[in-house]
Amino acid sequence: MATMIEENGPSTHEQYQVSPSYQARQKLEGLLNKNMKIRMTDGRTLVGLFLCTDRDCNVILGSAQEFLKSSDTFSQGEPRVLGLAMIPGHHVVSIEVEADSLEDVPGFGANH
Amino acid sequence: MVMKSAIEDDDAGWGLGIPEKMKNNANWVDITHEFKGACKELNLGELLHDKLFGLFEAMSAIEMMDPKMDAGMIGNQVNRKVLNFEQAIKEGAIKVKDLSLPELIGIIDTSFCCLITWLEGHSLAQTVFTCLYVHNPDLIEEPALKAFALGILKVCDIAREKVNKAAVFEEEDFQAMTYGFKMANNVTDLRVTGMLKDVEDELQRKVKSTRTRQGEQRDPEVEREHQQYLALFNRIKFTRLLLTALITFTKKETSSVGEAQKLVIQAADLLSAIHSSIQHGIQSQNDTTKGDHPIMMGFEPLVNQRLLPPTFPRYAKIIKREDMVAYFSKLIDRIKTVCDVISTTNLHGILDFFCEFSEQSPCVLSRSLLQTTFLIDNKKVFGTHLMQDMIKDALRYFVSPPVLSYKCCLFNNHQAKDYIDSFVTHCSRPFCSLIQIHGHNRARQRDKLGHILEEFATLQDEAEKVDAALHSLLMKLEPQRQHLACLGTWILYHNLRIMVQYLLSGFELELYSMHEYYYIYWYLSEFLYAWLMSTLSRADSSQMAEERLLEEQVKGRSSKKIKKKKKVRPLSKEITMSQAYQNMCAGMYKTMVALDMDGKVQKPQFELDSEQVRYEHRFAPFNSVVTPPPVHYIQFKEMSDLKKYNPPPGSTDLYMAASKHFQQAKLILENVPSPDPEVIRILKVAKPNIVVTKLLAGGHKKDAKVLPEFDFSAHKYFPVVKII
Repeated sequence: MATMIEENGPSTHEQYQVSPSYQARQKLEGLLNKNMKIRMTDGRTLVGLFLCTDRDCNVILGSAQEFLKSSDTFSQGEPRVLGLAMIPGHHVVSIEVEADSLEDVPGFGANH
Repeated sequence: MVMKSAIEDDDAGWGLGIPEKMKNNANWVDITHEFKGACKELNLGELLHDKLFGLFEAMSAIEMMDPKMDAGMIGNQVNRKVLNFEQAIKEGAIKVKDLSLPELIGIIDTSFCCLITWLEGHSLAQTVFTCLYVHNPDLIEEPALKAFALGILKVCDIAREKVNKAAVFEEEDFQAMTYGFKMANNVTDLRVTGMLKDVEDELQRKVKSTRTRQGEQRDPEVEREHQQYLALFNRIKFTRLLLTALITFTKKETSSVGEAQKLVIQAADLLSAIHSSIQHGIQSQNDTTKGDHPIMMGFEPLVNQRLLPPTFPRYAKIIKREDMVAYFSKLIDRIKTVCDVISTTNLHGILDFFCEFSEQSPCVLSRSLLQTTFLIDNKKVFGTHLMQDMIKDALRYFVSPPVLSYKCCLFNNHQAKDYIDSFVTHCSRPFCSLIQIHGHNRARQRDKLGHILEEFATLQDEAEKVDAALHSLLMKLEPQRQHLACLGTWILYHNLRIMVQYLLSGFELELYSMHEYYYIYWYLSEFLYAWLMSTLSRADSSQMAEERLLEEQVKGRSSKKIKKKKKVRPLSKEITMSQAYQNMCAGMYKTMVALDMDGKVQKPQFELDSEQVRYEHRFAPFNSVVTPPPVHYIQFKEMSDLKKYNPPPGSTDLYMAASKHFQQAKLILENVPSPDPEVIRILKVAKPNIVVTKLLAGGHKKDAKVLPEFDFSAHKYFPVVKII
């Protein structure tokens, strides 16, 4: 995975540009192919690789796994493999990424 | 693609690592706010994605929170514990003994509904295995329920085996996955039918002991009990008969098919009693209006939810109990029909049987049973005849080639025998495939018919060569006889039938646009049916030549006067029907051209394609066929050009001509002795079309801007034209 991120990660961020939309793209591109955890409106959590998003915050995760809400005891801990999954923006409650994957992403590091 | 393989490599680590990380939140950083803010900066319609990930890949993602795609969503909205069989027993949520009669009846009826839903293409996990009892029948103490659970598992197992063996299903027809469930493999079929029979006998005693005796005052309680015992008895017996019938189908003797037919007829007799006693069973308890599944004791629709495949985990809607009996009775009717195939001995008759059966769009089980009845273990037809012999008989019946006539010197000629035997052997696989194609669902059939034309083109080539070789042999031995285009005619006939069926099925599947009708009907009437009729009449005259020869030989020997009786020609029915079809197609073609002249056919704005592109696409599979040669678009345009007539016909002339064609078709069909349903269906289209085209010829609503409608409800290939 590591080599892939290097290959696909933005290599142009040294270029001087200050427009907010450019910065936003930089931020998001930095997260591509990183593990992402998304909680949905119905309480389920999906963990997968961040592959794609758009203006409405619809997110596509690759090799996603589905975890049920923590209150459910039966079949807890056993994720269901979903594969490629799209989460509509209006069903996204929260988005988390692993701390170490933020290190080389511009625009996130300062907040934490 | 690169992405996928990289991910798969990591899979082993994923399953173990993630739950740990989930609990340990320290690793995860919330970026919801920043992420959403950054997304807002993107343009409308812009996708932010990796270089290797595009819109095309995005298309195959499943959409979360869409009830059609997201199976996990349903399970998650339900606020109850999902228990498996062992857990349910432990918690006392499910009974394994002392079940009441209404409980048993309800459980059995729901299981039947699940079975049907599975047969209609849903997964076992979402249907039959939502019944917890079948997960482990060994844990059931109630004998009737245990026998039933084993019985239903066996029914599933045999049905699955049959469908797999016949291989006439696609993912839209049938889900063969068992998800690792045990299909009662540790018990023999005989043991299960024996158990069902024991339960049945026990129930029969109960039914008798609760029966009204003469002069006895009837206790309503006893009466109800009597009804319930009877209801359970009928259900157990039905299960046993269905299972026994399926087991009988797996036997190799032809006689077993007749036996199976008797068994399903007995099963069908129980259906009305089962239908009238549905209300004795317990119903599901909970409120289903909130999107939850109906919950029955012993059933947990969500127990396997997490076993479902990630792609398209569809939501299986179990059919209603009220519809169950109707489905079973139709299924049994289909199985009965399947059993009739063994009384057809001629290959052409069998092919027609398969076509006709397929026209009713039968279920995958009956289609598979028909296939496995036809070719038992892919070797012999009905387990008794060699495919090669069937093909020789078909040849004799169709063209009476001298090489297969007992009276011809070629019949015992060593070399001729080699030629014909190797040809017939080469025919056997394509013909088996052709029959198998007719077992697929209607949409898949069309696709496969297009492909098999290639194999028939090869056969055609070989047939012509063998004909030539046999002819030169015959010229040396019996110079007065000929062996010209015998085998070739037969293969050509099948070629044409496949091509006709390929084009016609496009109407049934609603593939063609209105502006395409004219060249499809043109191709059929001017080309394919014309070829078909000349092929049939060549076969007919070949038959007659052979008969004349035989007659002369007989005459020479007995010198008795042979009565000249007018025999019905074997191919006459088919020739007549082809004439009728040709006239119907010609009528439709001329109507469409005339409607176009009057500006009543909506044409698309061709931007990226043209009529030529569409035309070539429609007839693309015919390019592999040598005889008849494909008609290319330019040729079609030349051949159908109206300017070659002087004066060129106007729309009125064309409507009149079309009307005459429909009239002709009607005349031909009305003279058919003992008309079959197909004749009646075509007549239902021909008659109104005669009137409509006449009206149109008379200028009726000539200036109306409303487009005509085409109603395919009377016949799937020919519409009734409607002018509104």
